[in-house]
Amino acid sequence: MILDIKKLETGYGRLQVLRGIDLSVGKESVGLFGPNGAGKTTIINAVMGIVKPWAGSIEFEGTAIGGKPTHFVARAGIALVPQERELFPGMSVADNLELGAAYVPRGKPIMAQQLEVVLTLFPILKERYKQLVGTMSGGQQRMVAIGRALMANPALLILDEPSLGLQPSIVAEVFDRLSILKKDIAILVTEQNVRESLKAIDRGYVIENGAVVLEDTAAGLANNPHVISAYLGI
Amino acid sequence: MANKRNATMNVALITAVAAAILVWRPTVLINGLQSAGLYASIAIPMGLILGIVHIVNLAHGEFMMVAAYITYMLCAATGMDPFVAMVPVALVTAAFGFVIYKLTIRQALKAPELNQLILTFGLAISMTQLANLLFTSQTRKLSFDYVSASLDIGDLSFGVYKFVYIGIALLMIVGLKLFLTRTTTGKAALAVGQNPRGAAIVGIDVDRTYGLVFALASALVGMMGAVFITSASIFPAVGSPYTMKSFCLIAMAGIGNIPGILGASILLGVSENILKAFRGTRGWADIVFFVLIITVILGRSIRGKKA
Repeated sequence: MILDIKKLETGYGRLQVLRGIDLSVGKESVGLFGPNGAGKTTIINAVMGIVKPWAGSIEFEGTAIGGKPTHFVARAGIALVPQERELFPGMSVADNLELGAAYVPRGKPIMAQQLEVVLTLFPILKERYKQLVGTMSGGQQRMVAIGRALMANPALLILDEPSLGLQPSIVAEVFDRLSILKKDIAILVTEQNVRESLKAIDRGYVIENGAVVLEDTAAGLANNPHVISAYLGI
Repeated sequence: MANKRNATMNVALITAVAAAILVWRPTVLINGLQSAGLYASIAIPMGLILGIVHIVNLAHGEFMMVAAYITYMLCAATGMDPFVAMVPVALVTAAFGFVIYKLTIRQALKAPELNQLILTFGLAISMTQLANLLFTSQTRKLSFDYVSASLDIGDLSFGVYKFVYIGIALLMIVGLKLFLTRTTTGKAALAVGQNPRGAAIVGIDVDRTYGLVFALASALVGMMGAVFITSASIFPAVGSPYTMKSFCLIAMAGIGNIPGILGASILLGVSENILKAFRGTRGWADIVFFVLIITVILGRSIRGKKA
């Protein structure tokens, strides 16, 4: 198991958000679905050490990472593409990508190789290589963020709402690229756009009110009456 | 294109003014450049922490004062030259800065920025008063032969030693530029300044980076403290005007623009010396600084509103 979360409870201040989450990711791609405020991003924040777990455990490749600082988790091999992208706007695409690998032991030695992979996956980044990231469009910045995460050669890639604020044609492109990636890397992705993401994942969880209400394969979710009525809107 | 033409016009204008001053009163330009070098080389380390990682340090001048006293004791006791002493002094102030960061500033970073302001203002007062207790308010001075070096051109005679400050400022600008654009640690510092959350996500230890940059700035201002005693006498409150001036020079240059600090310093240094050239306005020199800062900030606000 690459990521193994057991009975995770956490929240912000006195507000409890997660009420005992059990979730695991193996060598596969896993989707997290659910309405706004259900706790999808909070699960990711807990894994990345941005919020501390109140109870329960988080293990990554057999090591407990619950409560460890964010840079520790990143160096261990989990790369995050945050909802807000969190890039370095005043630096070039080249520098943003370089920093994706520079501090991660499993990424740094094969930096040149990973750069080749990223630039093949997103040719637009090759064209804009010296451009400041802050001057690029939202869709291009999303690609820089995914590229930066891939530079780390992660064992687990987490994407938080990768299609948020993107026009449909670019959403399709992003999921297209994700389908290519999932052959090599474990992926955990949260998405509002359930229809598109069901094509790119193997398995999914439905989160409501801070708890897992449903867990199934992509095909199973696509045919589940609750998923159809609540998320696919048919 | 318009920008390029503007820049060309600015350069032409500055050259014309400089030439006019050179013909009219050469000493004004010489003294102006020399004090500009001193202002810039003290302000640049502050520009690094304020402009790059966004930490406000109102005890900046006091760090220099502490370094100056350490250098004074070291040189008085061993007969060492300040230019040699600046190496150990820079190491000591770097360590001092790192400890101050870990013990105090680190705690204030998560709170609103006003807390950093109050905290470092308190540090400044504590450091001045501690120096007062240990060394009394008596001024101290060391003399060195090379400081009085002078140059004669025609019937014009002037001290050349203080040009060393311009050299130091230029070295700092080039060194910091290389550090921030060519080294991984430098890029990490820029990244932390632009987006601390994003920096942590890619594995940068944000807290350690803040500490390192703060220590680096402390080392640079410590080095300046060592050189400072060659040309000025020191007393516990010697640092505080430089905190103010550094802060304003950085605001004039624009936060994050390190080479611009030298430009702002030249403007300040030359303007001060124009007033000092006349008996009637000599005492008004200190006001230049306030007029300049108010004009620049007002100008920028008005332009910002139009845009």
